Amino acid sequence: MIERPEHQTGHSDALLLHVIDGESVIDGNLGPWAVFIRFLRAPFVSAYRHRDLIRVILKRELDERFKGSQAGWVWALTAPLLALLTYTFAFGGSAVLPNKTSAKSAYDYSLFVFGGLIAFNFFAEMAYRAPSLLQEYAHFIKQTLFPAEMLAVISTLRASAYAGIGLALMLAAQLAFTGSLSWTVIFLPLWAISFMAFLVGLTWFLSALGAFTRDVSYLMMTIAPLLLFATPVFFSQEVLPPPMDVLIYGNVLTGFVEIVRDLVFFGRLPGLAVTAWTSFISLAMFWFGYWFFNQNRANIADVL
Amino acid sequence: MSSDAPVVIHARHLAKAYPLYKDQGAWVKQALFGRFKTYSRPFWALRDIDLEVRRGDSVGILGRNGCGKSTLLQIVCGMTRPTKGEIWVRGRVAPVLALGATFDQDSTGRQNVLIAGAVMGLKRAEVIAKFDSIAEFAGIGAFMDQQLKHYSTGMRTRLAFAICAHVEADVLIVDEALSVGDAAFQRKCLDWIDSFKKQGTLLFVSHSVDQVRRLCNHTIWIDNGRIREQGEPHRVIRSYVQATRDERDDVRRFSAADV
Repeated sequence: MIERPEHQTGHSDALLLHVIDGESVIDGNLGPWAVFIRFLRAPFVSAYRHRDLIRVILKRELDERFKGSQAGWVWALTAPLLALLTYTFAFGGSAVLPNKTSAKSAYDYSLFVFGGLIAFNFFAEMAYRAPSLLQEYAHFIKQTLFPAEMLAVISTLRASAYAGIGLALMLAAQLAFTGSLSWTVIFLPLWAISFMAFLVGLTWFLSALGAFTRDVSYLMMTIAPLLLFATPVFFSQEVLPPPMDVLIYGNVLTGFVEIVRDLVFFGRLPGLAVTAWTSFISLAMFWFGYWFFNQNRANIADVL
Repeated sequence: MSSDAPVVIHARHLAKAYPLYKDQGAWVKQALFGRFKTYSRPFWALRDIDLEVRRGDSVGILGRNGCGKSTLLQIVCGMTRPTKGEIWVRGRVAPVLALGATFDQDSTGRQNVLIAGAVMGLKRAEVIAKFDSIAEFAGIGAFMDQQLKHYSTGMRTRLAFAICAHVEADVLIVDEALSVGDAAFQRKCLDWIDSFKKQGTLLFVSHSVDQVRRLCNHTIWIDNGRIREQGEPHRVIRSYVQATRDERDDVRRFSAADV
């Protein structure tokens, strides 16, 4: 549970652990600026150092999801495909889109909803799992030198594999139904990276808190389904009356939903204010989550 | 103890308190507002430990349940932080703690070797290169490709020790682990530890004073978080055995005390 520099191969005299009165002094005395820079770099340094571990645990997680099933990954494709088909039948007749523009085809509303759900489900998977994530790996964290902070990264990567399938399906459907894809989809990787950064940060925060109490788990199970309706998945933030059209951005998911929809469905660039706000949320959550996890790191191993 | 070799583990006035909470609510408050107030009472697992281990030493650690042996080893490994005092460790540490407990039940032996190797800081290529050698040391044959839940306790121990034997550690930490294997495997492990001792440093915890006598050139006896006696194995073991015979099992030993 304690940060340590990279293992040296073979026998070495490298100082691997130096703690005085509960504080690690391995890097000597750094100035406040250097400490800050080191903090900003820390998650990336750790991820690079443990890249082999991330790879092997991620593979195990992905295998585990469909262990014992014959069809395996086909299920990962079937679920979003069925969802898309259902929406098409359910909403196929809507001639007017939730943002009051008229539909170009009978499938527009289903694509509109599907785009929102990809983003929301990505969030929901992490929100449900994060509070019990550390308990899942308690045997590793307590008994080995396991880098617990990498679990948030690994679980987000796993969830993004499924979100990626959904997104690919959405692109294929968009292409099939409308005959073309907007050039704006080239910005999707940027959206994915900032959303993943947000979710990793959220998972750090929720998992550290969840190590102390099960209540976090129950809380997320209670509010996540409600959040689906407080997020513009089935409606558009554009039709809300003031002041709700601004307040809705207090729900941090709004920006992520709106941007993915702009890029894929409407084929336009998201507004500057929304992009700035969402990027800020993403970076702030990432480092706040890491900071919070680090603060409680020493206690986590003791309470699990 | 050899006095010219470099010091590998250095501990001064080492103390560790585990927080004891009244209820779950106190845990949450601690996590949220821990910077401003403390919501727990401390349980001092270690009170005051001074230790200096040089390269090539083999240190046996004796003590009754709850005396702080495992806490000391966990601090040396870096799994948990000491509350007070100073510690530093040089070189790669391989903890053979609670062997087999860290394995993943649903993965095969092969996958677990990959995971355990990565956890211990080996590169993937290194683990794959050593794979045959690990399988041979473990000697569990075709079970290597079976899920861990089909393993017996002995098989699990064999696999775990085989992995630790291939980490190329500077400091090996063995915690009451060898009692699970059968006699032949125990002998194999002890022989391996003997050869490891030629270049590496060993911390060995066991309730078997015979194993400590066989493997260690220095022994410390921990009692109630403090070193009660240390030095030459024969002498320390004699007083330890004497004391366990004379002293009653103290029912109040695990109660928390104020600072």
